[in-house]
Amino acid sequence: MVGRPLDESDLIGRAKRGDTHAYEDLVYAHQGIAFRTAYVIAGNAADAEEAAQDGFVKAWRALGRFREGAPFRPWLLRIVANEARNRRRSAGRRAHLALRAATEQPSGDAAPSPEAAFLSAEQRETLLAAVNQLPEDQRTVISLRYFVGLSEQETAEALGLPSGTVKSRTARALERLRESYD
Amino acid sequence: MTELERALVALGSEVDFPAEPDLRPRVRERLERKRFARPLVLAVALLVVVFGIAMAVPPARSAILRFFHIGSVTIERVQKLPPAREAPLAAGLGPALPLDQAEARSGVPLILHTRRPDRYYARPGLIATLLQYRGKPVLLVELQGDQTGIAKKFATPGTTVQPAQIGSFGLWLAGGKHVLYWEPSPGNPRQIVPRLAGNVLLWTQNDRTFRLEGALPEDQMLELARDITR
Repeated sequence: MVGRPLDESDLIGRAKRGDTHAYEDLVYAHQGIAFRTAYVIAGNAADAEEAAQDGFVKAWRALGRFREGAPFRPWLLRIVANEARNRRRSAGRRAHLALRAATEQPSGDAAPSPEAAFLSAEQRETLLAAVNQLPEDQRTVISLRYFVGLSEQETAEALGLPSGTVKSRTARALERLRESYD
Repeated sequence: MTELERALVALGSEVDFPAEPDLRPRVRERLERKRFARPLVLAVALLVVVFGIAMAVPPARSAILRFFHIGSVTIERVQKLPPAREAPLAAGLGPALPLDQAEARSGVPLILHTRRPDRYYARPGLIATLLQYRGKPVLLVELQGDQTGIAKKFATPGTTVQPAQIGSFGLWLAGGKHVLYWEPSPGNPRQIVPRLAGNVLLWTQNDRTFRLEGALPEDQMLELARDITR
């Protein structure tokens, strides 16, 4: 889960009144997840960066229509994801996002993170290969849900899909992955 | 959460995502640019006048109108239309709703000073309804704000695009089919299906873009448009 400022609603209120510094704080708080969401959809880092940047600028212009008290992150991610989809569509290519495990190992005697300790190297490679072999729509949903950390509803909003479709795609993907993982 | 899902979360912490760029400097620069652009409004207004004059000259018109925005609508000139099919006027706008629900969903209070129909269509930033005028169905769409890309049109050289005397800036598209895309909205990806569109009057007024589509000639469409916003 990405850390968020405790006074996000205050920042949003100030940004709505034209305070660009407050908006910069919102950008800082959400730029990581916005970029990763765009990366999963657009399929490359350059388009993801542009999509996230355009998304933040469009969100600023649309702040007047943002409903007071509503969660900011899903609203923002919908705009960013839409930019990422437009880029992918206008380039006329199919994004094939080949996910790789980070090669950098913890230095010295640093203990592995609890998450890293959960998987053996072999399990990690097997599971990642299985994810990469999923059909694109299923891989995107799995990546957003488990790698980026979006909720089911946020994933649905980002992809412009009903949450039932996200749920069924996730279930089908998990079923396929289970065959490789078990 | 199952063991497999826990394994996926664990794997997520090891996936090699590209380094996250710091977007703040570029976003700040673009917001500042927009703020300082306000004094340019007068210059832009002047440009619109020049544009209107240039549009009267066919060769200049075709060169200028290759690609531009009007309010929340983008028009792009192409030699060949993308694949699209005939579809009802309200195709791609979602289910019909009563007015109060449509206004709540779109966030756009309807401007319509003629008799109001019973059924409306809504998406964030957009409200629409089907009118009957001189015995013909006409789709009225109202788009809020200056967000670009809610609707995109592709027009071939067979479609004439000329200024129309309405609102702060108006355009009349006729004489050939053009392809219309509505921006996809959350929860209904089928809405991106493109469709062929007929005669269209587009105009902006205050913070709103209006779009009328139907099988009416320009003078009748302008008559209806002025009734709507009078």
